[in-house]
Amino acid sequence: MDEEKIIEQMRNCLGAKLLDASCPAQRRIFVKVNGADVTAAARCIRETVGITHVSTISGVDTVKAFELLYHFADNRVCLTLRAIISRSEPEIETVTDFFPGAILYEREIQDMLGIRIKNIPDPRPLVLPDDWPADNYPLRKDWVCTRPEKKIPGGKK
Amino acid sequence: MKFKIPIGPQHPALKEPLSLRMTLEGEIIKDVDIRLGYNHRGIEKLAEQKTYIQNIYLMERICGICSHSHTTCYVQGVEKLLGIEPPKRGLYIRTLIAELERVHSHLLWLGVAAHESGFDSFFMYTWRDREVVMDILEILTGNRVHYAINTIGGVRRDIGETERQKVLDSLDLLRKRTEYYTNLGTTEPSFVVRITGVGKLSPEKARDLCAVGPTARASGICIDVRKDDPYAAYDEVPFEVCTADTCDVLGRVVVRVKELLQSYNIIEYLLKNLPQGEVRVRAGRKVPPGEVVSRYEAPRGENIHYIKSNGSDKPERVKVRAPTLANYPAVVEMLKKGFIADIPLIFAAIDPCICCAERAFIVDTKTGQEGIVTMSALKEYAKKFYQARRFEKGVVQWPL
Repeated sequence: MDEEKIIEQMRNCLGAKLLDASCPAQRRIFVKVNGADVTAAARCIRETVGITHVSTISGVDTVKAFELLYHFADNRVCLTLRAIISRSEPEIETVTDFFPGAILYEREIQDMLGIRIKNIPDPRPLVLPDDWPADNYPLRKDWVCTRPEKKIPGGKK
Repeated sequence: MKFKIPIGPQHPALKEPLSLRMTLEGEIIKDVDIRLGYNHRGIEKLAEQKTYIQNIYLMERICGICSHSHTTCYVQGVEKLLGIEPPKRGLYIRTLIAELERVHSHLLWLGVAAHESGFDSFFMYTWRDREVVMDILEILTGNRVHYAINTIGGVRRDIGETERQKVLDSLDLLRKRTEYYTNLGTTEPSFVVRITGVGKLSPEKARDLCAVGPTARASGICIDVRKDDPYAAYDEVPFEVCTADTCDVLGRVVVRVKELLQSYNIIEYLLKNLPQGEVRVRAGRKVPPGEVVSRYEAPRGENIHYIKSNGSDKPERVKVRAPTLANYPAVVEMLKKGFIADIPLIFAAIDPCICCAERAFIVDTKTGQEGIVTMSALKEYAKKFYQARRFEKGVVQWPL
């Protein structure tokens, strides 16, 4: 089976860095690493497993920590790499060295979750407006949408 | 002398308004900078506050053309979390609507591509025939755009015998028309010459930049979620993945025309082998904790949803990545070293058409002068630019 073979390959390649690997359904693999090991995992997926396509990166705020889920896919499996990032130091290395197509997803993560991507080739904001207040990260669970009070110039007090 | 042309962000006809700042040297595009977010509606945050049923209708409204793509991707993820399997007939109807949607989207795109290359009668033909598909969709689902046929556990409406026959009858017409378009394309030298070699994207670049859908397939990369990761009824339906190796707009036209013909075969197969029985199963309101990655081949390429549930009736996290976002890095690559006159055509080629954009803004960086150019003026300019260049007749072969 392709799934077992790929998990085996990743185990051999990453060793103790691979915290968890599971195959919950056909053609679906979930592997887990620490945020610090994401470069090694990305290199392993690109060079050893041979997957070249990154579908997207989902950022999840689990309140205790942040999780980044890198979804890789090819014609065999859809591999999800879960990287755990601490809330106190939200930063992670870029994967664009191995997957240049991930640039827009990483920029989106920076905007929406406030996780700093180290060594990203283009760190500018992508989706949030230019006048967006600093340190407001909409996809964090503690962020609630508050509508600005409507002010009519010259209106009633 | 270097010019900078900002294009956008306001394009009423775009699915996603975006701003592009092009750096030009003479006629040649040297660099492209992309800025998104003008239409960011916070759907992912909103989805966390709505129930699973409400979210179907929210997902439907992500896109006006591939609305069925997003709901299918979402509901099949939730079904996996719930551990329920929709009945066969439900899955067949879901697949049928998906293919009809692909047909209407590709016909729309074909018209846009023809329009951008100055072949307006082709555009009018395809859009007239697209109405046939829109009518079918209305007969089957009750709506022309947001079909609202998907629900968790199956589909909401069944297909009767009269409707089935009606769709099969219209299919003959659509097939005949598409074959005519294939012919028209092969025998119309000006059209073929206009789109050959425009918007080059090498297979290596397409792979590295993670392009999806017809854009990647036109660069010879054989990816199609329907084949690679079959969902709904695709593991039972015979069809082929269509690719081209010209790596330009011509290839993207070829891929989509071939896919149209494949879609007609799929629709015919689905209708002729429609299983009997129920179309949906009941689903619970609360979803047990878990997570799922759901993939779908939308008309524009791979659509992916990640859903995380926490045991309540609302999802913990819904992440949506529509195919157009995946193709933006590839567009930047295609535009580089291209002509200013090719901007509308290259853009149209990935399907988020810029063509109906009202205006572009031209800045002369040397003098700092700014001027507004309407998109129609830019198109007019493109036509004149190409009329002034000579093309040899019959040199280019249509690779279909």
